[in-house]
Order: sequence, then C-alpha cells, then structure tokens
Amino acid sequence: MTPLLSVRGKLRHIAILLVIVLIYWWAIEGTNTNPATLFKGFPYMADYVARMFPPDMSVLGRLIVKAGETLQMAIMGTTFGAALALPLSFLAARNVMPYRPVYQATRTLFDLCRGINEIVWALLFVSMVGLGPFPGVLALTVHLVGALGKYFSEAIEDANQDLVVAIASTGANRIQTVYYGIVPQIRTLFVGYTFYYLEHSFRAATVLGLVGAGGIGIELINSIRLFKNQEVLTTLIVMVVTVILIDRTSAFIRMRFITGVEG
Amino acid sequence: MIKIEGLSHYYPVRAKSGTIQADGDETKRELALSNVNLEVAKGERVVILGSSGSGKSTLLRCTNLSIRPTAGKVFIDGSEITSLPHKEVARMRCQIGVISQHFNLLEGASSLKNVLTGRLGYVGTVKSLMGRFSEEDVAIATDSLNRVGLENYTQKRVSDLSGGQKQRVAIARAMAQRSTIILADEPVSSLDPKLMKEIMDLIQEICVESNITMVASLHFLELAKTYATRLVGLRAGQIVFENTPDEFTDKDIIDIYGETEDWVLYGKRGF
Repeated sequence: MTPLLSVRGKLRHIAILLVIVLIYWWAIEGTNTNPATLFKGFPYMADYVARMFPPDMSVLGRLIVKAGETLQMAIMGTTFGAALALPLSFLAARNVMPYRPVYQATRTLFDLCRGINEIVWALLFVSMVGLGPFPGVLALTVHLVGALGKYFSEAIEDANQDLVVAIASTGANRIQTVYYGIVPQIRTLFVGYTFYYLEHSFRAATVLGLVGAGGIGIELINSIRLFKNQEVLTTLIVMVVTVILIDRTSAFIRMRFITGVEG
Repeated sequence: MIKIEGLSHYYPVRAKSGTIQADGDETKRELALSNVNLEVAKGERVVILGSSGSGKSTLLRCTNLSIRPTAGKVFIDGSEITSLPHKEVARMRCQIGVISQHFNLLEGASSLKNVLTGRLGYVGTVKSLMGRFSEEDVAIATDSLNRVGLENYTQKRVSDLSGGQKQRVAIARAMAQRSTIILADEPVSSLDPKLMKEIMDLIQEICVESNITMVASLHFLELAKTYATRLVGLRAGQIVFENTPDEFTDKDIIDIYGETEDWVLYGKRGF
C-alpha cells in the first residue's frame, strides 16, 4: 500500500500542528485561561446570580423609557447609515464605477468606518459633541455606512449583468440603466440588510451608554457600579425582550416586503 | 441595414483552459471573433449557426456595442457606430431590439413596466426615474403587449409568467423601442418544441409586418432553415458558411459543427 502522504507532506503537517500549538500556548498564557479559576469562581458566580433575584420591578418604567431611547438611537443611526451608504455603495461597485481611484477611495472609507467599533466611535463623538444619545446616533451612523456600504456594493456587483446589458440595449442612458437594471435587483437585499442592521444597531446601542452615549447602557453600568443586582437583572430582561421584539418585527416586515413587493 | 467590417474580438483569458490563442501575442487572450465581414440588408432575416463558443453571442453583442469589439467597424444604416460617444450609442440602441434565451426581464415588475423600459431611450432621465411615462409611451407599450397576445397580462408580475409568456414580454419590449433591427440570441433555447415554433412565428410575423431586420442565433437547424432568409455559419470565430437555406447541405453542417457520430440521433444528418 502506498502511503497517502510523502515524507515531505508529513513534515509539513507536523510543522503546521506545531505552529497551531504555539499560537494557543501564547493566547492561553496571555489571558490566564485556567479551568481552575473557573471552578473556583463558581460559588461566587452562583452567589452573584442569586442576589439578582427577584428582579426589581420598581425601576421597570424608567428602564422601558431608556429602552425606547435606545431604539430611537438605533432607528436614527440605521436610517442615516443606510441613507448615506446607498448612494456611496454605487461608487464602490466595480460594475458601476469605471474610475478606479473613486472606487478605491470609497472602499477605503467603508473599511475605515467599519473597522472601528461603534463604542470607539461613540467615545470619539462624546468628546466632540458631549454626552447623550446624539453622539450614539453618530457612532451608529458611521459604523453602519461602512458595514452597509460594503454589503450594498457587493450586492450591486453581484447583480445579474445580463439584465443590466438588456436595459442598456434599449437605449437607456447610464443613470436609467442603473436605476432600472440594478436597483430592482438589490431592493430586497437592501431592505433585508437594513432591517438586520436595525437589530444590530439596537444591540450595539445598548452598550454605548457605557461611554456616556445614551440609551439603556447607562442604567446597566450604574446598577452594576452601585451593586443594585436586582436592577441589573431587570435591565437585562428589558434588553433581551426588546431585542426579541425588534427581531420578530423586522423579520415580519422583511417577509412582507419580499413576498408583496411591487416592481 | 447592418454592415460589419473586419470585426475581431478577444476576451481576456481567465483560466488555463485549452482555448485558441492569437498567434505571436504575448498577452494571453481568447479569440472570440476573427475578421468577420457581414452585410445584412433591410428586412433580411439572418440566422447564425455555430457550436457553443463559436462566437455567435459575441457577434450579436458587438453589433449593438454591448461588447466593444477589439477591432473592426460596425455600420448601422450607413453610419459607423463603433467610434461614437456613449450618448450617441444609446440613441442608436433605441432602434435595435434585443431578445435572448434568458429573457432578461425585471422579474419583480409587471409586464407593462418591463415593456415600458423599451421606451427609456425616448424619456427624460428625471421623468423615467420617477416612473412617469407619457400616455403615448403607455399606449405604445400596451399595443405591443396586445400584439404579442398578452393583453390580459399587462399587470401580472413577470415572475408569475411562463417561459413562453416571458419571451413574449421581451419581444413586446423590443417592439416598444420601435426597433428597425432585432438581435435575437438563441431566443427559443429555453422553450419547449411547440413554444419554439410559436415564438419564432411571432418574431417572423413582427419582422415582416414592420420590415424589421433580424439577426438571430439558433441551435436548431430545422428552425434555422424555416425562418432564415440567409444562413451564416460560424466556427472558431470565423464565417465558414454564408448562403440561402436551400443551399445548406450536410457537408456544411460538418464544416460548421465538425464531424460526429451523434448526427445519427437526428436521423438524416440533422434533418
């Protein structure tokens, strides 16, 4: 029987294995990952969780208002983000934008916006425009321009080119060709991604309060700092319920849009 | 009238497949058309034959400059279009309807809206972006849909139509352009045998009615012989046959497609 791998192939496998082992050793060392620590921590964890019960319902009203504010931030951030990302995404699609420098510049802008996390953007905007939900909206907007811009421009590049050619063949000019040949193809994806990112923005917005950018996150960090464990649990419940509600609603709207769309 | 002069086209090579290479050329390019000369008179119906990859689609696409040919000239009604700026190319395209195997329609839109896209070249940009077509444009689109027998389907979504109906919408779109030329790239290849004949009949009737010049590519020799006033055979990007259907012989079939034992499947050499 001939061996499946040559000696060289085997050595290669061993080398790759060694590199993987080294990477994990390095990562475990750096993070003090240790099962013993985890086991020793169990009683404390159990104690902490026990002290969260029962959830403090007296703060529910205030938390719902704050969850509402978080949703408001997510709605505004997503709207601005999508509205800016849509026109920009055409500049970052190879099949629409023939000028390489513009295409490259827009792609780089998207990478920059997306590469920096919302909470970092929020830190920067809080320094620029002060505390409150508005810097949070700006942070969500900037991150979304990068994230949605990337998805939109990829959707544009993936559009069926034959249909685009067919529209151009009717004598349509460039703008008409894009509008009639590409936009109908990406509309469903556009709505889908935007609603997905509404959920994403809400989840992101819940933590923006940690750096002073409004929303329910402020409540969470205050409760944790003041050891109001029962309030912490209430806050977590409100967060999860709101995320589920947004998730269901946007799934419903997406479905309605996909099945009931009119040309 | 269409005149094609010394038309050559190369595609950039993507994979290391066994393709035809241009001699003495450093950059690897795939030859699709090589020095094609063809004249099609007003009202003629030319059918291009050739195996897959012989350059039929490329030739049709070069004719309305959907593909910019590497070399050569295309004349429409006596004027050279290959050197025109984009805006004038769009104006020229208004009079060239295109029909293809894959229909290429807006699936989520109604038949009427699809046919109205045939009017885009005649409508201002702003108006067309707002979807405001004139009454005249709507009338032209409706008439075209009536002509292809879809009067009861104007508001139907294209995705709900059958293949034959979709191709009728595409034909109506070409009509709405007020085309003087129709380029049809394998217009019936995805239809059943009965529909093939119906759709080819329809295209032929419309061409005869309005004195439209047709250039089509077909894979079915029987259909080609029936509907063409002239046949053109392409092989490896070159014209190897050009004559009336009556002059088309078994030997020409082999010249175009190459020898194969499978011809026996079609009975007497494909016919």
